[in-house]
Amino acid sequence: MSGVLEGSDRRESPISSGETLLELEDLVVEYETAGAPVRAVDHVNLTIRAGETVGLAGESGCGKSTAGNAIMGILRPPAAVAGGRVLFRGEDIGSLDTEERRRYRWRNVSMVFQSAMNSLNPVMRVGDQFADMMAAHERIHKKEALERAGDLLEKVGIDRRRVRSYPHQLSGGMRQRTVIAMALALSPELVIMDEPTTALDVVVQREILEEIQELQKELGFAVLFITHDLSLLVEFADRIAIMYAGEIVETASARTLFDKPQHPYTVGLMHSFPPLTGPMTRLIGIPGSPPDLARPPSGCRFHPRCSFCVPEKAALYARQTTERPVLREVGPGHFVACHLVEEGGA
Amino acid sequence: MSAATTGTDQTLEVVGLSKYFEVPGTEHFWQRRRKLHAVEDVSFTMRPGTITALVGESGSGKTTVARLIARLYEPTAGQIVFEGREEPRHVNREANLRYRRQVQMIFQDPFDSLNPVKTVAYLVGRPLRIHRIVPRGQERERVHELLETVGLVPPEVVAAKYPHELSGGQRQRVAIARALAVEPRVILADEPTSMLDVSIRIGVLNLMIRLKEEHDLAFLFVTHDLASARYVADELLVMYAGQIVERGPTEEVLQDPLHPYTRLLLSAAPDPNAGLHTRTLAARTPQDLAVDPEGACRFVGRCPLAIDICSTTPPVLAEAGRGRQARCHVTAPGGIA
Amino acid sequence: MSFQPVTVDRPAEAVPVEAPVESKPGRRRGPHAPQWLRLLWGNPKSRGGIIILSAMILLAIFGPWIATHNPTAFSLDARQSPSFHHLFGTTDQGVDIFSQVVVGARSSLVLGAAAAALATVLATVLGILAAYSGGVVDEVISFVTSVFLVIPTIPLLIVVSAYLKSSGGLTMILILGLTLWAFEARILRAQALSFRNRDFVLAAKVAGESTRRIIFSELIPNMISRIAAAFVLVFYVAILTAAGLEFLGLGDVNHVSWGMTMYWAQVNSTILQGEWWPSLFPGLALALTVVSLVFILAGIDEVSNPRLRSPKRKQGLTKRLGLALVGGNAAVRAHTEEDA
Repeated sequence: MSGVLEGSDRRESPISSGETLLELEDLVVEYETAGAPVRAVDHVNLTIRAGETVGLAGESGCGKSTAGNAIMGILRPPAAVAGGRVLFRGEDIGSLDTEERRRYRWRNVSMVFQSAMNSLNPVMRVGDQFADMMAAHERIHKKEALERAGDLLEKVGIDRRRVRSYPHQLSGGMRQRTVIAMALALSPELVIMDEPTTALDVVVQREILEEIQELQKELGFAVLFITHDLSLLVEFADRIAIMYAGEIVETASARTLFDKPQHPYTVGLMHSFPPLTGPMTRLIGIPGSPPDLARPPSGCRFHPRCSFCVPEKAALYARQTTERPVLREVGPGHFVACHLVEEGGA
Repeated sequence: MSAATTGTDQTLEVVGLSKYFEVPGTEHFWQRRRKLHAVEDVSFTMRPGTITALVGESGSGKTTVARLIARLYEPTAGQIVFEGREEPRHVNREANLRYRRQVQMIFQDPFDSLNPVKTVAYLVGRPLRIHRIVPRGQERERVHELLETVGLVPPEVVAAKYPHELSGGQRQRVAIARALAVEPRVILADEPTSMLDVSIRIGVLNLMIRLKEEHDLAFLFVTHDLASARYVADELLVMYAGQIVERGPTEEVLQDPLHPYTRLLLSAAPDPNAGLHTRTLAARTPQDLAVDPEGACRFVGRCPLAIDICSTTPPVLAEAGRGRQARCHVTAPGGIA
Repeated sequence: MSFQPVTVDRPAEAVPVEAPVESKPGRRRGPHAPQWLRLLWGNPKSRGGIIILSAMILLAIFGPWIATHNPTAFSLDARQSPSFHHLFGTTDQGVDIFSQVVVGARSSLVLGAAAAALATVLATVLGILAAYSGGVVDEVISFVTSVFLVIPTIPLLIVVSAYLKSSGGLTMILILGLTLWAFEARILRAQALSFRNRDFVLAAKVAGESTRRIIFSELIPNMISRIAAAFVLVFYVAILTAAGLEFLGLGDVNHVSWGMTMYWAQVNSTILQGEWWPSLFPGLALALTVVSLVFILAGIDEVSNPRLRSPKRKQGLTKRLGLALVGGNAAVRAHTEEDA
């Protein structure tokens, strides 16, 4: 048992910025079905360092939420980790026992879920929900818990008297902030956010994201930001990983990804955002739709939609349709899994 | 039918449209009735071959406007004028059908706007049958043609599918095909791409543009996303708390926004081209403001430009040159709407 | 304007075509069992219910042929405990109980089904009408529903049966149907209301569908599972209530049914004399039938609402209620799960 999971002890050995906090090592997550198991996450490698914001981008069904759940250790049947490891501070969370895992969840890593603001218990006051949650993890007096809840709400910009409110008395933005405050209650080192602002107005969205950044500076936690909205990540993430059909196809710093995307899918995604400023052009988007993970395309999973995959280029085509590309470094910190890029094309 | 033959360049005009809802929980006679002014005095014109974008946040009333035009709600005040003729309030079945033949709607949620127990063939074929667009025997063929038009191929295969067998983007295209079936003049699109994956959105937006050009349709594009509004729309209307606060040609409004709310939206929208923006003001939801509004500008609580008059007198929509209008004491003072 | 469909070759520039849609090979919709049956069969509870109910239905159909004796014939073999000759024993008058149970199945099931059919039709029609019309119609129907809900069924049945000369099947069916519809009407109204503002119903309106067509083609097909549940519920309540009435002596004395068998058993004080068989067997048959229907009902519920599948204990009722409302959500599970 390492010092990682002994609650308050942890704070005596703080992690220094830049050190690797979480690592996904060849992670595989499968869903059992009536037929063959479906691989939602297929040999994914990802590193998150202390204090940084990593964006995990992809469209519906690419497996990003599943990956987030796997990191939190909340996968339920029929989903299960079928290969690889999730390492938190070097320790494989798969090897933790029930108690350790329970402490891992919410103390070391916490999560803000998609439309979490709609999953607040509607018949309990907000403060009580905080207290409940805290009591599940440590011995704490109700009064003290409510005090802490008030502190946390203030931290996210909500009047502390709202501790006595019911969820329906708060606006969508406030509810989402409440959920974020709950995620921060036990001072985790990593917060996973799965589409935290999708249901919110663009103005509130920006406010919340900026607040999260401020909190990060103040409290030093790392963020894994899972979303389909790449434009947000370019502004708010340090590094971005693009996921497609269960695999990571490109990883780079946000700036690099925006300036020099290499993978055809990334390029396609970048060109799917109509520009708000600057010259107007007609865009194409990406024809087709993401594959059915039960029967993924052979070889490179993106090949049916890729404009660079054409039978005329026979040799390349053969590779694209039979061999799965591997992530290779094409620049400092910039990894791409693409045959075309490997062969120096595009 | 092009604009020339109808003799008018206005397909559909909305005049002084208002819709008030009772705030839930105040229906009993002993409670003070409170009304939500979801839509307040909205007027604009839709012309053939143009896309008009109605932009605003949730609670701004934009969806209500679309539904009023679709006659899913009855307006509290105001009229809808179609091709120069005012549409009467309570209609008989004939007039209803006539209107629905001209004005169609696409909904936001592709997973909810198609009846899950019906096939695509049924869904697209129903309007054909109701309005007797083609004789019975030709229905199947026409359905296939419509599916091809919206890019769903091969049409025979798609027609046999149930909604849950299709992706979000495909379902939205089915919804568009259904709307096109009656050969309407006006299509109201209520956030048609908000629930679609990013890479699929462009396809649907491009389809809208193409249909507008090839069939001279008038589109109302309701959205909260300024960027997609810019991509498709010729004219931009910005709504806030039930009112139109700014209007004008899209490019002009975005280059030089007059109303502070438009400026706020522009600055808050994610734009990878620009860097990080400065902090925006704390928000109060528009919902609160639209309930029994006082005699003040509804934006005054959030407005960085507010002056004294803003808290005492609601501003009117004033001309600001070059087909533009804005509702602001500071940036577009005075004038008659 | 004539509508020219655009041909498929478009300029390369802004191609909105989706990738060709594939038709799914295999699994055609033909001779396989319908979806709902497969779902109910898959659920262990409802599978058990279906099996038992099927057995009872067979009994109802083939009763007279399975019976070993004439169920109304007196004989000299009175008060016999179960034996090979009289499988369930005999009554004080020597009537074979096995035959009574087996033949009586028909009565109970037919009565229950008929009453359920009547009540379900009423509930569906009125519930949907109220939801869809709104306004005064809704108010009136809701009021009538409330009145019927408040009427206590059994006392009403007792009073009516006492008045009417014939307490035959038809009367009972009518009364049961008329008193049991209100409960389901409220539920179906609520469900219809929830559908009323769904986008696909609005889309049908915008397409120009008539109200009638919307109700029959859009609403009802989506409400089938709830309507089926309503039917099953009224079915078993009707069976129980009818048996109860007969037991109380309000049934037709010439009738052969489970309730009547139990009535005679009670009238003849059989239990006091240590004769358990005249009460047990019909009671068992009744209980089994009702239980099978309850299981089927549970199966229908669980199939149409996955959230009902795993109950949580160890938490206060209010809290659980709140959790159930937002339940099935990963966020909630992470907060409350002990382990993954």
